[in-house]
Amino acid sequence: MPITLSRRHFLASSAAALAVGASGVLPAWAQNANLRLIFWGGQARADRTYGVVDLFTKDHSDTSIEGEFLGWADYWPKVATQTAGGNQPDIIQMDYRYIVEYARRGALAPLESYMPSKLNLGDFDPAQIEGGSVDGHFYGVSLGANAAATVLNTTAFQEAGVDLPTQATTWEEFGKIGAEITKAGKRKGFFGFADGSGNEPLLENYLRQRGKALYTADSKVAFGAEDASEWFDMWSKFREANACVPPDVQALYKDTIDTSPVTLGKAAADYAHSNQFVGFQAVSKDKLALNNYPRIKSDSKGGHYRKPSMFFSVSSQSKVIDQAVDYVNFFVTNPDAALALDVERGIPESKAMRDVVAAKLDATGKIALDYVSGLGDLAGKLPPPPPSGAGEGQVVLRTIAEQIAFGQLSPSDGGKQLVDELSRILAKG
Amino acid sequence: MSDVMRTTAPDGIKSEYGAAAQGRFRRLWTANAPGYLFLLPWLVGFFGLTLGPALISLYLSFTDFDMLRSPGWVGTANYVRIATADPKFAAAMKVTLTYVIFSVPFKLTFALLVAMALNRGIRGLPVYRAIFYLPSLLGGSVAIAVLWRQLFAGDGLVNAALAQIGIQGPSWISHPSYSIYTLVALSVWQFGSPMIIFLAGLRQIPQDMYEAASLDGASKFRQFYKITLPLLTPVIFFNAVVQTIDAFKAFTPAFIISGGTGGPINSTLFYTLYLYQEAFGNFRMGYASALAWILVVIIAIFTAFSFLSSRYWVHYDD
Repeated sequence: MPITLSRRHFLASSAAALAVGASGVLPAWAQNANLRLIFWGGQARADRTYGVVDLFTKDHSDTSIEGEFLGWADYWPKVATQTAGGNQPDIIQMDYRYIVEYARRGALAPLESYMPSKLNLGDFDPAQIEGGSVDGHFYGVSLGANAAATVLNTTAFQEAGVDLPTQATTWEEFGKIGAEITKAGKRKGFFGFADGSGNEPLLENYLRQRGKALYTADSKVAFGAEDASEWFDMWSKFREANACVPPDVQALYKDTIDTSPVTLGKAAADYAHSNQFVGFQAVSKDKLALNNYPRIKSDSKGGHYRKPSMFFSVSSQSKVIDQAVDYVNFFVTNPDAALALDVERGIPESKAMRDVVAAKLDATGKIALDYVSGLGDLAGKLPPPPPSGAGEGQVVLRTIAEQIAFGQLSPSDGGKQLVDELSRILAKG
Repeated sequence: MSDVMRTTAPDGIKSEYGAAAQGRFRRLWTANAPGYLFLLPWLVGFFGLTLGPALISLYLSFTDFDMLRSPGWVGTANYVRIATADPKFAAAMKVTLTYVIFSVPFKLTFALLVAMALNRGIRGLPVYRAIFYLPSLLGGSVAIAVLWRQLFAGDGLVNAALAQIGIQGPSWISHPSYSIYTLVALSVWQFGSPMIIFLAGLRQIPQDMYEAASLDGASKFRQFYKITLPLLTPVIFFNAVVQTIDAFKAFTPAFIISGGTGGPINSTLFYTLYLYQEAFGNFRMGYASALAWILVVIIAIFTAFSFLSSRYWVHYDD
């Protein structure tokens, strides 16, 4: 598919951007440095990203950048295949879940030697820099902070005449709220909230409030079977009380915004990340809001944390690491770039950029920003990056939760089985 | 052996036999070179894109290759783990076997019925043939995932129809007991290619046989049972083998409809989907290669069994 368009012409046309995103072909410009950039996301994110590319190349006429983007599910096979084939793009959008896998296997370039001369992250939250570090080296520049959150359909709450949950709401109260919404029966086949028993961030939040965690820093399971059993038992009671959706409705959820029970009109609340709020609101006719996950007791705290939503990492195979670092630095510290990016990748980590963006945010973006900055005592320390095998662990949690929901397993056996299987996976590495 | 010795004898004198062999080879080469030349694109594709990667995957199946680091030899450890310590292997095998056992006979029966209906000299046959083939073209697209959800979800069309006769159905597509059968239904619905082949097979059956049978007073059912079916067995055999192999290799239906998870509770975890998850989700390319080779062996066994059994029921009388 040979296309010969000028860079500007190409950027003007989002259809062309989509075609390029699908095929990964872009003409090579006869210039000094040619960077390749790959990221996951949709068209909206691509438009913003290419906007920054345009700003950057205006200042750096000796550098050109080829972009490529895919959906989350297709992204990781592609990056892994490119890495294995020695064909890794120079700049890779990286997730907290995968940074350890890639860094430990030597696929990413350590960036600490570029700070602060070329990579100026002086006004970043130190915890977020720590989040991009593995084994004492710095591999990922955070592109924004987010936090886990409950997405609430406020219109549905109003119709049912039920008050929205607040920062202080406990799981027990949340269960009652859910049952009331289901009982109000204002919409057909509508329930209080999504079944979150197989949702990893939600379980992690619950464990953290109990002073536990999902995984330890040295790749072990950091909770006991009794914690997990109590968790599953709580959800079984919600199911009995019709507070949450039945299992066959929950099983339609495929980890995407458009299959969420809130989006499909099946429930008034679901669990997500704050940077996804813009996406949720875009596909909903009703007015949505964000709230924290429920507390286990009215005074329990520290379940939440601010997490780097995604990073830019630089390939260890790159021959133009200097230029790649320049681009990443521009991406997170240039005011025009910050305005182009908005809060679509999370709240900017740099304080100066945060102020620039906050001054011009729309109402939806402001909800996400206010939520993350207003967590207060709900937020605790950032946990260590998930160990190798955590991705598989997430699938195990979901499968066991489904077995319990469909009545094939008891909550107490489910708790034991979860800890056993996770330990087995982590031991395997 | 002695011939070979003589042909390579240091004195350079070739035996008559050796010269003859060489001459034959040269003649063969001159005669066939254009043929190989025309085959070249296919040969390059076969060796470069099929045989080469297949052999590499055989090698990788004995390693711990994780896509990021270079592979390390682990002997038969992958195969041992598949056989002894992988509950998901058994689960995935069961799902795939269920799929094969249900989808192939239903699909072939359905394709044959439609082909027979179309073979009655109706007008506008090409149009119907195209329409019935259409679902096969849609294959495993995202649109199918959406369509199947509209049909088989809790508030889908199927349940709306069942509600008319007073049955309250579950969400078929997301219930662990039924979800695999929605995928079987998808496979049966995409009956286009066996139908076309059946149609061609039916055309080959001489009409005078039916005329003679009618004169002798044989019923339509008896004609089908005694003429159509036996004469169609080579085509049935071909379709059965091809569809069985296809069903074992099926990947996209489960991938798009379960969103790549194989859920709920691994009920749609096709063998190929599990293989894909291990390779690209969990970075276990070596282990996934071992899984792939086990699938190759299983398919080979099924195909060999089909061919062995064919002598007892397939009639080639032309």
